Amino acid sequence: MTRTPKHSVRLVLAASTALMLPALAAAQEVTIVREVDSNNYDPHRSTARAAAEVLFMLGDTLVSLEPDMQTLSDGLAHSWEVSDDGLIYTFHLKEGVTFCDGKPLTADDVVWSLSRWVDPETSSPVAWRAGDVVEIRAVDDLTVEYELSAPFSELLYQLTQSFGTIFDRDSAEALGEDFGINGFNGTGPFCWVDWAPRDRMVIERNPNYTWGPSFHDNQGPAHLERITWQIVPEESTRTVALITGQSQITQYVPAIAIEQLRATPTVEVVQSDEAFWTYFMGFKVDKDVVADPVVRQAMNLAVDQEAMAEDLFFGMVEPAFSYISQAALDWNPDLDDRLLRHDVDLANRMLDEAGWERGSDGVRARDGLELRPLAYVFAGSTWAKIAEAVQADLLQIGVGMEIQAFDATVAWSRLATQEFDMFGMSFPYISAGDALNLYFRSENTPTPNRMNWIDQMTDDLLQAGKTATDDGTRASSYGEVLEIVHDAAVWIPLYHEPMFIAHTTAMAPVVPHNIYGAGLYKGLDLRFND
Amino acid sequence: MLETILNRLLLSIPVLLGVLILGFVLVQVAPGDPARVLAGPAAPPEIVAQIRERMGLDDPMVVQFMRYMGRLMQGDLGRSLISNREVVVELGAAIGPTLELMLACLIWSIPAGISLGTLAAVWRGSLVDRAIMAFSVAGVSLPIFFICLVLIQLVGVKWQLLPFIGRGGPLWTVDGLRHIALPALSLGLIFIGPVARMTRSSVLEVLRLDHVRTARAKGLTERAVIVRHGLRNALIPVITLIGLQAGYLLGGAVVTETIFSYPGIGRLAVGAILSSDFPLTQGAILVLALAFILVNLVVDVLYALLDPRVQKK
Repeated sequence: MTRTPKHSVRLVLAASTALMLPALAAAQEVTIVREVDSNNYDPHRSTARAAAEVLFMLGDTLVSLEPDMQTLSDGLAHSWEVSDDGLIYTFHLKEGVTFCDGKPLTADDVVWSLSRWVDPETSSPVAWRAGDVVEIRAVDDLTVEYELSAPFSELLYQLTQSFGTIFDRDSAEALGEDFGINGFNGTGPFCWVDWAPRDRMVIERNPNYTWGPSFHDNQGPAHLERITWQIVPEESTRTVALITGQSQITQYVPAIAIEQLRATPTVEVVQSDEAFWTYFMGFKVDKDVVADPVVRQAMNLAVDQEAMAEDLFFGMVEPAFSYISQAALDWNPDLDDRLLRHDVDLANRMLDEAGWERGSDGVRARDGLELRPLAYVFAGSTWAKIAEAVQADLLQIGVGMEIQAFDATVAWSRLATQEFDMFGMSFPYISAGDALNLYFRSENTPTPNRMNWIDQMTDDLLQAGKTATDDGTRASSYGEVLEIVHDAAVWIPLYHEPMFIAHTTAMAPVVPHNIYGAGLYKGLDLRFND
Repeated sequence: MLETILNRLLLSIPVLLGVLILGFVLVQVAPGDPARVLAGPAAPPEIVAQIRERMGLDDPMVVQFMRYMGRLMQGDLGRSLISNREVVVELGAAIGPTLELMLACLIWSIPAGISLGTLAAVWRGSLVDRAIMAFSVAGVSLPIFFICLVLIQLVGVKWQLLPFIGRGGPLWTVDGLRHIALPALSLGLIFIGPVARMTRSSVLEVLRLDHVRTARAKGLTERAVIVRHGLRNALIPVITLIGLQAGYLLGGAVVTETIFSYPGIGRLAVGAILSSDFPLTQGAILVLALAFILVNLVVDVLYALLDPRVQKK
């Protein structure tokens, strides 16, 4: 038989048509697109949000936090008690819990997992979140005692984070250096299938899972059979992937696309304002150019957070005047009426009265010192536009802020130096104590306390809050710290970023969780409509 | 022929060494601190200093380079600073998809480019010729990212015919073919232009030669004249061009793989550079350089096969 050009063309057309027929989507599988991957999935060695997103699904924590970010709920422990002195926490584990490989969970696994978190050999950057541990011990197969040398009022909240994930000791030891890279045997609603770094992470349903936190509608097994976390760095590609059904869910939606997605009939966008992720610019308070509290207060007054939220983020973020969300645990409501809000005239008057005079170029100076602070920020579209907006606002009051942007990998080391006067940063938190203990303790200089905020009163109050054994003492201690740092204008708060989750309307409405920005949390309630 | 291959291989050694030195120096002078990457953002300066010392980053650059070469000779490219996986494993996982992408691109764009160039030559001056040349100029001039975005918008979003994120699987599976179609199409569109233009001018030159006139005088059909006597002789410079362009395709693949989230060597290299993952960056540079050298070697050998005069020289 001879093959004519016509035959060849027909063959090519037929093959092309076959290729273009959409693949039949498997009923209970979803692809979640996200921006970046984690460096690993070891709960103690990665602080990436991308790691937390997957770890919450692969494993469980002793206790869990409800989506309101305030209420503690059961996790692997069905109940717990705290000794009167706040030094010993006793956790009672649920029965019948097994790892993905079928091995039963015992108190020894819990002890080993949590002890590894605080073990100096692990060098966990988040070991401080576990408190000052004396010993974690198994009382019996289903009871664990967690002993501290000093009370830690935040402990239960910290144990809800992905850093407190419990995993199988034998598997972790067998994997060694490859733990969280080539495998992870947890008790979560999903099990590790395959990880291709910077490309995708595939997890599948743990069919035996029935011990999910009680605040979920579904305690297990998960409705979805398989989840693929696909890395798509391009934000426009992520957006159209969702619109065209190549992805079913994402929380990495650019602000500019939210309205477009809301107008798309096949996409539902859900929002949570309790995301507790705040953007701010901090001052190195001991640098001459920003050492005067009046200057810092005036700069706070000069920045127009509402315009920033509207013009740069299309009204999709909440302008911030407080250092943490006013909905966060232990926020001090006395501060609500005292927060610095946009008032350029007042800012100019304050600087005039403090003797800062404008030069011929419009930049103020006093005793030969010009108000030209140097700000370090992260390179990339978000911080570029934020820093430029702040720069423009500050010029109105005669402050000539200079900006230097660094790629994220370089920025962290530059931000650990004393080279700059201001810096840009964003951070997730679960409570006032969580945020304040991280950023304002004297011992945390030069990083993460990049402000060089060294104040004995702050340290004493933070310690009092941390070691409080009752909610009232904790809240009042942290409330006082909030007052001190707000009055000193150590930061310029910019905006609180809400959680947006966009998903296909083929799926039941998603309730966003907010813990560490991991909006889908355990994925137990994710399901397609009937 | 064996001598030609050996000569080319020997010539490749200094080229490869030059690339390794350049790559090493560039990585060293680029901003970013591998010790900081390894220590994590919250690590205190003394821990970073300890890691620097342990990794030998305080040693002179020459010492570091010799150490790197020593490990390289033993096939040890180190471990990724980010994932802690062996660089060889990471590269191994990314090479396959990139080779598939190259293959999928070349398999349609070479015949298409040669066919279009031949058609333009045969119908020189006609509307067909002008249309093909306009298309070729567009392919040469348009940046690859623009072509990718237009194809995503049209084929992926508007008509929803093909997927545009990730890799669906090996090339021989339906899902693999569906996922590779758009990246291969994008990459191919920048490849067709130069191939078509070179084929056109080369065919035009050959068609003027005496042996073609003789073939026509013998009464051969026009198709036989063009394909057997014209195209075959016109292909030599086209093959050289294809070889050179195939090397540049690797550069195009970096952009294409990033936009289509395709897990190949180009995207791996971009990710490694952006995350200051120095061992992985050096590994990716090595692989890309080797690929370029290999492509040029194949072209040289093909050239020698097609034109025995080259071999004699």
